[in-house]
Amino acid sequence: MNVGTALISVGLLTMLFVIAVAIVRMRNLFAIVMLSGTYSLISAAWFVALDAVDVAFTEAAVGAGISTALMLGAMLLTSRTAKVERSLASLAPLLVCIATGAMLIYATIDLPALGSVTSPVNAYVGAEYLARTESDIGVPNVVTAVLASYRGFDTLGETAVIFAAGISVALLLGFGERSLTASMKDKSGRGRKL
Amino acid sequence: MSEFLSTISEYWTVFRPWLGAALSMLGGFLALVGAIGVLRFPDFYTRLHAASVTDTGAALVLIVGMCLLSPSGLVFVKILAIGIFLFLTAPSAAHAIANAAHTAKLEPVTGRFGSPGENVEEHGG
Amino acid sequence: MIGASVLFLCLGTALILIRALSGPTLYDRVLAVNSVGTKIVLLLGVLGFFMERPDFLDIAILYALINFVATIAVLKFFRYRSFQVTLVRRDAGDAGGR
Repeated sequence: MNVGTALISVGLLTMLFVIAVAIVRMRNLFAIVMLSGTYSLISAAWFVALDAVDVAFTEAAVGAGISTALMLGAMLLTSRTAKVERSLASLAPLLVCIATGAMLIYATIDLPALGSVTSPVNAYVGAEYLARTESDIGVPNVVTAVLASYRGFDTLGETAVIFAAGISVALLLGFGERSLTASMKDKSGRGRKL
Repeated sequence: MSEFLSTISEYWTVFRPWLGAALSMLGGFLALVGAIGVLRFPDFYTRLHAASVTDTGAALVLIVGMCLLSPSGLVFVKILAIGIFLFLTAPSAAHAIANAAHTAKLEPVTGRFGSPGENVEEHGG
Repeated sequence: MIGASVLFLCLGTALILIRALSGPTLYDRVLAVNSVGTKIVLLLGVLGFFMERPDFLDIAILYALINFVATIAVLKFFRYRSFQVTLVRRDAGDAGGR
């Protein structure tokens, strides 16, 4: 990683930090939903800067697209502002977060160094995949080849599960025709004109 | 004539990356100017003006610059696709936002220059 | 020169982010989020050339589409729920609408 990329990473991470603090301190739920969409956009840009393109793709589709729509749908069912909590009651989640973060940082000490030959990534089947993908399948992206061809049935099952989960969430939140007509009926036809 | 054309194409291969980089820098600068406008303008409609004009203008300059920089045809087509998407979506998104604000009877700041405007504020926040 | 472009776009995103955080009305926030999305799309494209790997522009295409869909979804959402009554104060007597 050269200096320019490191500077970009620091800048994007600073923006992420500012957004996170603002989300914690805000009470207006709509602004929080908008800011969380921005958060995932910027974090995906950071993933691109780190060369993790597949993660960035997922973050763009799930974080910025689906979850914004889902949170808006959930906001239909609840109030527009968060309740003001007592400062003592918010102490416990803070402690849990700090403890989890400390444990995760402690766990990173055990990780192998970047590009180490003896790390599990390079020692087992990874090299095999890298060597054989070109002749077996002919797809330039090895991750795509592994997901869609070597483990194709796995991916099919995951897709089915996620599709079913998405449909059930949509049914629970009542997207589409039903909620639209209900909200139009609420306003006695005024919404229809718009 | 053919000699002249080959000279032109040689000049073009030399100058194309420089022209592309210069246009990219210009587009980034325009985007920054638009961002300053969004930050500094007094009310919603003027901010919308700053944001939408620079979003399409700076995007046009940047995309032409990146097209000149593109090493292969596939990258060129992808950048062109981004440009077409932005050109279709950015003005219509700006129009939708302005239309929603107008429907909600959001008033622009009027009055003499420098006088404090009575802008509408949201609840909570 | 491309580095300067990346720097300008990052700075612009940061400035618009301030507007998204402070924006007095709801529409300012929607506008700022939409504008951040456009700037991030451009930043992704320029970042590809800056890192000399311009093969990953698919993400920028995806963003351009998702950004538009998200903006329209938000606006449609609070048009049908008449968000303007609850979130934008027209006069002091309307404050109980929340």
